[in-house]
Amino acid sequence: MFEPLRPWQWLLVAITLAALAALPLLSSNSYVLHVLILSMIFGIFASAWNLVTGFAGLKTFGHHAFFGIGAYSSALVALHSGLSPWLTIWIAALIATVAGLFIGLPILRIRSMPHVAIVTLGFAEIVRITISNLQSITRGELGLWGIPPFESFTLPVLGEMKFTPADKAGYYYLILVLLVFSTGLITLLMRSKSGLALVAMRDAEDAAESLGVNLTRHKLLVFGVSAFLVGLAGAFFGHYIGILTPSAAVGPDLMILVIAMALVGGLGTLSGPLVGALVLTCVVELLRDLNDLRLLIYGAIIITVVMFLPKGLATLGPLVRRRITYLRAPTTSPAKHL
Amino acid sequence: MTFSLFIEQIINGLIIGSMYALVGSGIALIYGTMRVLNLAHGEFYMLGGYLVFFLVVTCGVPAYLAIPIALLAAFLLGALIQRLTIHYLLQREGWAFSTIAVTLGLSIFLQNSALLLFGENVQSVPYYVTGIVEFAGVRIPMQRLLILGVAILTIAVMTYVLKATRLGWAIRATSQDRDAAAVVGIPASRIYLITFGIAAALGAIAAAMMAPIYAITPWSGLPILFKGFVVVILGGLGSFPGAIVGGLLLGVVEAVGVQLTSTEWRDVIAFALMIAVIWVRPWGLFGSKS
Repeated sequence: MFEPLRPWQWLLVAITLAALAALPLLSSNSYVLHVLILSMIFGIFASAWNLVTGFAGLKTFGHHAFFGIGAYSSALVALHSGLSPWLTIWIAALIATVAGLFIGLPILRIRSMPHVAIVTLGFAEIVRITISNLQSITRGELGLWGIPPFESFTLPVLGEMKFTPADKAGYYYLILVLLVFSTGLITLLMRSKSGLALVAMRDAEDAAESLGVNLTRHKLLVFGVSAFLVGLAGAFFGHYIGILTPSAAVGPDLMILVIAMALVGGLGTLSGPLVGALVLTCVVELLRDLNDLRLLIYGAIIITVVMFLPKGLATLGPLVRRRITYLRAPTTSPAKHL
Repeated sequence: MTFSLFIEQIINGLIIGSMYALVGSGIALIYGTMRVLNLAHGEFYMLGGYLVFFLVVTCGVPAYLAIPIALLAAFLLGALIQRLTIHYLLQREGWAFSTIAVTLGLSIFLQNSALLLFGENVQSVPYYVTGIVEFAGVRIPMQRLLILGVAILTIAVMTYVLKATRLGWAIRATSQDRDAAAVVGIPASRIYLITFGIAAALGAIAAAMMAPIYAITPWSGLPILFKGFVVVILGGLGSFPGAIVGGLLLGVVEAVGVQLTSTEWRDVIAFALMIAVIWVRPWGLFGSKS
C-alpha cells in the first residue's frame, strides 16, 4: 500500500476513470447508469467502512447509522430551509462527522473487539429507532418523500447537467466525482504519516502507543473521516432516490450488504471495497427476479468468502498467479538443474 | 397507575428479563470459553421457536415432549455449525474478526432459510397452561409464572453443571486457560463444540417459553440478539452469573422505562443503558477490572 504506484497502475487507474467518464456518452440506458450509480454510492460506503475496520482495525458494525444520519439530515435541511442540495449534502456530512466523533469517544476507552462491535451496533439501532419514532419530523416508516433533487446547471463543453429520474447522467457524474474525491482522500490519508500510524495501531496497539502514536487522536480522526464520507454517500442517496424510510436508509440489511462488499473485495485494501461494491451490486441486479433468495445468497457469500477466501477477491490475482507458477515449477526447474 | 399495577409491571419485567438472561448466558458461555462473539445467536432463538411451533402446532406433539426434542435439535444444530465454521476459523490468524464475520453471514443465511421454509407469516403456539394467579391485587397469568419457573430451573441446572460436574470443570478450565487445560488432557475443540451446543439450547429454551406470548417470525432473532448483547455488557462479557443478573436487571429497567415513556422507546432505553455502562464500567457492572 505504501509503495509508489507503478506506471502500469497509473495507466490502469486512468483507463478505468476514462471508461467510467465516457460511459454515459456511449449508452444512455438509464438502467445501466442506475446500477453504476448504486455501485458507486456503495463503493464510497464500503471504502469508508474499510478505512475504519480494515486499515485502522476498529471493527465497527454500526456505520449504517452515519448513512441514515447523512440521508435524513440532508433531506430535512433541504426540505425545511430551502437550501440547495448542493450545500445540504456537505452540511449532512458534517452532522454525520459529529455523530461519528460522538460514538468514537466511548470506543476510545475499549480495546476489546466484541465490545466495539456491540456498542456500534447498539448505537445504529438507537439511530434507526429514533428516526422511525419521530414520525412528526421524519414520517417514520411511511417514508420521507418530496426530497428536492439537485438543481441543473450548464457546463461549457458538456452542455446542461440535468438531475431528473429520466436523465441520470448528471447524478452519474456527480457520484463519480464524489467517489474519486473519497478514494483520493482515503488514499492520501493512508499514504500519510497518519496512515502508517493507523496500520501500526491495528497490528499492535500497545507497541504503537509505546512508540508515540497518539491513539486517541488517530481513532477520532479515522472515525470522523469515515463518518463524513458515509454521511456524504447517504446524503447523495437521499436526493437521488427521492424517498427515505428508516429500514432502507438505516436498516441493518444495509450494513450487512456493505460488510459483504468489503469482505468479498478484500478487507484492508484500497481497491477491494470498490471491486466488491461493483460485483455485489451487479449480482443483486442479476438476482432481481429471485428477490426472496437475495439475502440468503448474501449470507452464503459472506460465509464462503470468510471460510475459503479470507482476503477477498482483490488477492485472488496473486493467489492464482502463484498457483500457476507453482504448477509450472516442476517442469521448468529440474530442466535448469540438468 | 395503581401500586399493584406497578408491581405487576415489575414482575413482568423480571419474567421477560429471565428470558433475556437465558439468551445472554448463551452468548456469555460462548464468549467465555472460546472468545467468539456469536452474531448468529439470535437465530438459535428464532429456530427454537419454529421447532416448537412445528412440533406442537403442525405435528400435534404435546408441549412437554416437543420442548425437549426442540432443545436436542438446537443443541445438535449449534454443535454442527460450530464444527463446520468456527472450528476451522479458530485455527487461523485473525480469528477474532473472522468469527464475527462468519456468524453475521450465518445469521442472515439462517434467517432467510427460515423465511423460505416457513414463510413470512407470524406464527404462535397456544398457551402451555391457562389461568391467572391473583395475590394481593397483583394478577399474573400462569403462563408467565411457568416461564419464570423454567428459567429458574434452567439456571439452577446450568449452575450445577458448571460447578459440580466433570464437564463443567472442563468448560471452566478451558475458558480460564486453554493450553493449561490441554496439558491436563481436556480436549479444547470438543469442549467448544459442546459449549456451542449448550448455548444454542439455552436460546431454544427461551424461545420455547416465549413462543405462546411473542410472535415467531423469521426476524424474531435479531431483536433478541441485541437484548442478549445488552445483557452480557451489563453483566460483563463472558460471565455466566453476570449474564443472569444482567438479564433480570434489563427486564426491570425496561419495564420501568416503558412506564415512564412508551413501548416504542423500549429498545432505545436498553441500548442507552448499555452505552452508559460501557462508558463508566467497560468490564460490566459486576465484573472486576482485570
